Amino acid sequence: MKLRNAKRIDFTGTCLEFDFFEKFSDATIDLIRNEEKAEVVIVVDRAFGFAASHLKDNAAESHLISDHLNLTGDNPLVGPNNPMGERFPVVNNIYLSAADTIDQEETWTMGNPLSKLCSGIVAGVKYGAVPGPAELDLLYSMGAHFYNWNTVPTMIIAAHAGLKVLALAVPEGGVLPDQVLMAINR
Amino acid sequence: MIKSAPRTASEAVIALKKLSSEVPVAAVVLGSGVSVLDKLFDPLVLPYQDLFGMAPGVAGHSGTLTVGRIAEGGPLVAVLRGRFHLYEGYDWPTVTLATRAIVEWGVPNLLLTNAAGGLNLDFSVGDLMVLTGYRDHLNPELKETGLLPAIAKPTTDCRNKLTEKLLSVGEVLAITQSPAESRPLRQGVYAGLLGPTYETMAEIEMLRKLKADAVGMSTVPEMLCCDGTNTTACAVSVITNVWRPDEAMGGHEEVLEASKNASQRLDRLFRAMLAELG
Repeated sequence: MKLRNAKRIDFTGTCLEFDFFEKFSDATIDLIRNEEKAEVVIVVDRAFGFAASHLKDNAAESHLISDHLNLTGDNPLVGPNNPMGERFPVVNNIYLSAADTIDQEETWTMGNPLSKLCSGIVAGVKYGAVPGPAELDLLYSMGAHFYNWNTVPTMIIAAHAGLKVLALAVPEGGVLPDQVLMAINR
Repeated sequence: MIKSAPRTASEAVIALKKLSSEVPVAAVVLGSGVSVLDKLFDPLVLPYQDLFGMAPGVAGHSGTLTVGRIAEGGPLVAVLRGRFHLYEGYDWPTVTLATRAIVEWGVPNLLLTNAAGGLNLDFSVGDLMVLTGYRDHLNPELKETGLLPAIAKPTTDCRNKLTEKLLSVGEVLAITQSPAESRPLRQGVYAGLLGPTYETMAEIEMLRKLKADAVGMSTVPEMLCCDGTNTTACAVSVITNVWRPDEAMGGHEEVLEASKNASQRLDRLFRAMLAELG
């Protein structure tokens, strides 16, 4: 399969089993990185349990993810290292902020829509786990602002492949604002 | 895919008894790039491949067990260079295989070392930290539950008579040696994480809130393995970097370099400690 000259590749859906996920990432990220020289993965994922400090008028809004806590109890890179990346990847500073997309802002008369989103730290918890009130308080006390299941493993795979991540957390029942979607498309 | 060692601890002990009829007074496990007790008297070397049927695959680990004396007529020690890690895909029995063999062989003391990232902002690169406690954030049981139960748990206190002896030997060395040769020993809590990714800044801040002083990807399985046995374990972390928000994160090469520089001080500490144990 060749993807030459593609400006953007969209994936919809998630591979949840790490064994399969690893194969998925090998095939796709290797393809994207080596053939298309991709530098950024954009992850749009649901998020839940927003902290009160990150609600607006008692309602959750879409957030840019600034960092994460891996609380899944697992890591998709466990096992023999894929030589596409380091054995011990440094995963700091791989999340893009709105400021990192500032060069695109010049093309927006209304300003950069991403800069209008709040930023927050996501806790990646075990797939399917729904933290209760006490566990949510524990998450917040550890620095997380919301949680979800899939962003963190995806991000770790991307970091291992040397890709930056623009990650967006969309609350349950919410949608990304049109202007943000347009910004992503650009 | 989970990888298992082809040998059992009992099979390894048979090989160890063939190597040395005398049981060492202590075993020392060396982590990434930590190089101590290089020159032993009357050394006998056994590759892990022959002992466990497999060799470690991470840079900085040679994968040998050496039995020898720290000096002529001195105490007999076993030095294990390298270990098997969970992040490599090994299962818990394999990760603890060497420790279980040491316990079954009847070695009374186990000194563990590791290269660790410093969380305590008072620490400096090259410091040696004696573990007074640890946090288990890497246990395979956490795959079933996620990490929340581990975070809710208090730190495990691991101070014992061996820890106290190590600290007292370190105090004496700090007084009797020049500042260039010695630094005061640090004490603190080690957080064992699964890896292989290094921590994010958010995770570093979380571990600091949990009062962890250093973070690494080993040692906790071996400490747990010695619980309730006749082998007393203590551990020393070589602080290879200190996570600060205004400094770029290093990689494995930085870990190996910092380990090398601290190894001379650790060598003097262990030799003094082992002489007292003998």
